[in-house]
Amino acid sequence: MGEVILEMKDIDKSFPGVHALDHVSLDVRAGEVHALMGENGAGKSTLMKVLTGIYKKDSGSIKYLGKEVEFHNTRDAQAAGVVIVHQELNMVGDLTVAQNIFIGREPRKGLRIDDRKMIEDSKALFDKLHININPREKMSHLTVGKQQMCEIAKAISHNAKIIVFDEPSAALTEKEIEDLFVIIRDLRSQGMGIIYISHRMDEIKVITDRVTVMRDGGYVGTLITKDCTKEDIINMMVGRVIYEKPKEHSMVPEDAPVVLKVEHLTAGKMVQDVSFELKKGEILGFSGLMGAGRTETARAIFGADPKQSGDIYINGQKVEINSPEDAVKHGIGYLSEDRRRFGVVVGKTITENSTMAALDDYMKGPFIDKKKELDVTQKYIKELATKTPSADQLVVNLSGGNQQKVVIAKWLVKNSDILIFDEPTRGIDVGAKNEIYKLMNKLAQQGKSIIMISSEMTEIFRMSDRIVIMCEGRKTGELRIEEATQELIMDKATRQMD
Amino acid sequence: MEKFKQNPIVKKLGFNRIILCCVLVVMYIMFSILVPGFAGMSHIMGALNYAYFLGFLSLGVTFVIATGGIDFSIGPVMFCCGLISGYCMMSYGVPTGVSLVISMLIGLAFGLWNGYLVAYWTVPPFIVSMASMNMAKGIASVFTKTQSVSWPRSQDPAGWFRNLVKAGSFPTGMVLFLAVAVVCAIILNKTKFGRYVLCLGDNREAVRLSGVNTKKWEMLAYALCGLLVGIAAIFFVGAYTTVQPGYGDQYNNEAIAGCVMGGTSMAGGSASIAGTVIGVLIISLLQEGILALKMTKDVQLVITGLIVIVAVYADVSARRRKN
Repeated sequence: MGEVILEMKDIDKSFPGVHALDHVSLDVRAGEVHALMGENGAGKSTLMKVLTGIYKKDSGSIKYLGKEVEFHNTRDAQAAGVVIVHQELNMVGDLTVAQNIFIGREPRKGLRIDDRKMIEDSKALFDKLHININPREKMSHLTVGKQQMCEIAKAISHNAKIIVFDEPSAALTEKEIEDLFVIIRDLRSQGMGIIYISHRMDEIKVITDRVTVMRDGGYVGTLITKDCTKEDIINMMVGRVIYEKPKEHSMVPEDAPVVLKVEHLTAGKMVQDVSFELKKGEILGFSGLMGAGRTETARAIFGADPKQSGDIYINGQKVEINSPEDAVKHGIGYLSEDRRRFGVVVGKTITENSTMAALDDYMKGPFIDKKKELDVTQKYIKELATKTPSADQLVVNLSGGNQQKVVIAKWLVKNSDILIFDEPTRGIDVGAKNEIYKLMNKLAQQGKSIIMISSEMTEIFRMSDRIVIMCEGRKTGELRIEEATQELIMDKATRQMD
Repeated sequence: MEKFKQNPIVKKLGFNRIILCCVLVVMYIMFSILVPGFAGMSHIMGALNYAYFLGFLSLGVTFVIATGGIDFSIGPVMFCCGLISGYCMMSYGVPTGVSLVISMLIGLAFGLWNGYLVAYWTVPPFIVSMASMNMAKGIASVFTKTQSVSWPRSQDPAGWFRNLVKAGSFPTGMVLFLAVAVVCAIILNKTKFGRYVLCLGDNREAVRLSGVNTKKWEMLAYALCGLLVGIAAIFFVGAYTTVQPGYGDQYNNEAIAGCVMGGTSMAGGSASIAGTVIGVLIISLLQEGILALKMTKDVQLVITGLIVIVAVYADVSARRRKN
């Protein structure tokens, strides 16, 4: 580790009603990977937004390369060499890789854009990162992992000294994460300072040198990664959290009735001839790589996307599901992997979101029964321990974990018996994650049946009674939890790839 | 200022709406100073006559904008309603009451047509309403053989419908307009339809994935708008008697201006009926004042244009601050 190149000291920032940052300090050295950890709402993103000039700090100082600085916008920050690689990729799918990297600052030859130089410069960047991507390729043709590498290339093309990675691994496969780590280590050896935000404890141990932990907008402490344990970090983040134990055997009796049977379902390219059964009270894990067709299968069952063929039986009865409306009528609820786009209506209140699917049950004649609606919402706020000042709070003001609870409440209010949870804990912090696990187990005990799509192996083992594995749109395996091993799942998940 | 905004009464009434009411009063005082006799009944009646038909247009388009859509056909469709139903009455001897129903049905038909194309065929609302605007003008012209239509005067027994606008010197129109506005506010805030319209304006896909038939509700928003346009036509002819084919465009902008000024967001998802009512009154007073100042209608066009831009800018920047 080299000298300190970035020193944020006593940063303070308030929004109306919220003390978002309370005298937070963070220093980053040249040639280190510095983890920034904390639950959702702890203030990590706010701190990074202050650093890159999106927010103006109320007080405190930022010293960068020995000088006091204050960036006024991300462009300023970029020009000085402080860049963020965002969790959600900001790429234009229809442009080429090179065009994306140099967007807004294309090299020119007279009035024309100098395409050749742009492509050569991109190649040089990729060489520097030791990655192999064709700069002429259209961005949308790349995998998520490759797209992220382009983001990184774009970042270092600004002569970055400080690179902030905001949950870079959230959308990547294990292999892609390994590739990412090779690049990060490489950047570190080139003397850059790297701030790494992630919720995944395993990664922190593997890739980072130091860890700074934040809680509720405050600074908790900084540790040297190799001298501390996962538990140390978790304790600093949330106090003591005890995870649900992994399941050793199925909780579902052999003769439990089948509530959902899917036969030969085909929908688009991503769902090819998928068949499976879901039993009452079961948590059925869906494992596979990103792009294996699990979300597409869920959406096809739910009627969100059209299907070409296949039959769906609920409680032994064949049903026609051509729209989410049909699916909801048949007692299916779907919790999307993309909460903000497909789960909640962020500009509306918790109440309005909670009764969205079941509004018919909350009518008094032609009018909405606001009293009854409020009662049921408050009941579920209490039951799910949703953190909010009131039921009238707009969902946009809630943290990710609490938004997820609002979506769950929506299906509980509707009393759906079959729940499809698509990456239920994505982007959710450790504490809230465990609450959601507990909740899922409780729901299963109450006789609800759950399909859980998850890319996290630990989650699959922790929750599933049975595991379906998909690869490239096909079901490639089905395992009982007793017989499942990580190797067996990975083998089936990559079966058709070779 | 912050303290004033947090006052529970102010919160209930809405800070923006209080400001708008102030604007309305200031405008009234200003015109009264500039124009001798403006404070008298005749100018107020003039402004109100304008406010009725514009108000119904504006109430209608509030629902459409709440879904995140837009309707640029309301003005010409209103003229189409007035022309065809009036022509039926004057040339084919259809009774007044039936003609009024015809007017509403034509508006409703256009609304359903627009809504169907937008919701089920997913044609962008901008395009649909532009096309409908021209279709409305064309159909009306063909039907009336490109002649203007004059509705019966109040002395005429068939002119009884004018009592809907003004009975003697009593402004019945205002009572009816406010009554319909109250009904609209109830529909928007207390019914399933209103709830879904506002929610789908914010995030259509999330509402659809909650098992809601978003297409149906979206179409109904346009249909309700159409029905209100049909009613607007009745109040237009009740106040101004004559309708000419080929016109009506300018009322689109004025109705939309009234709506966005009142706090309905062009992005969809939030709407205020009370705001729309005040917005409409401001626009109507403005047009009466400008005429009284002996300026031309063109001045008003410019000012309405500016109002739309300022109102939308205020909404956009308020949203940005929130995020």
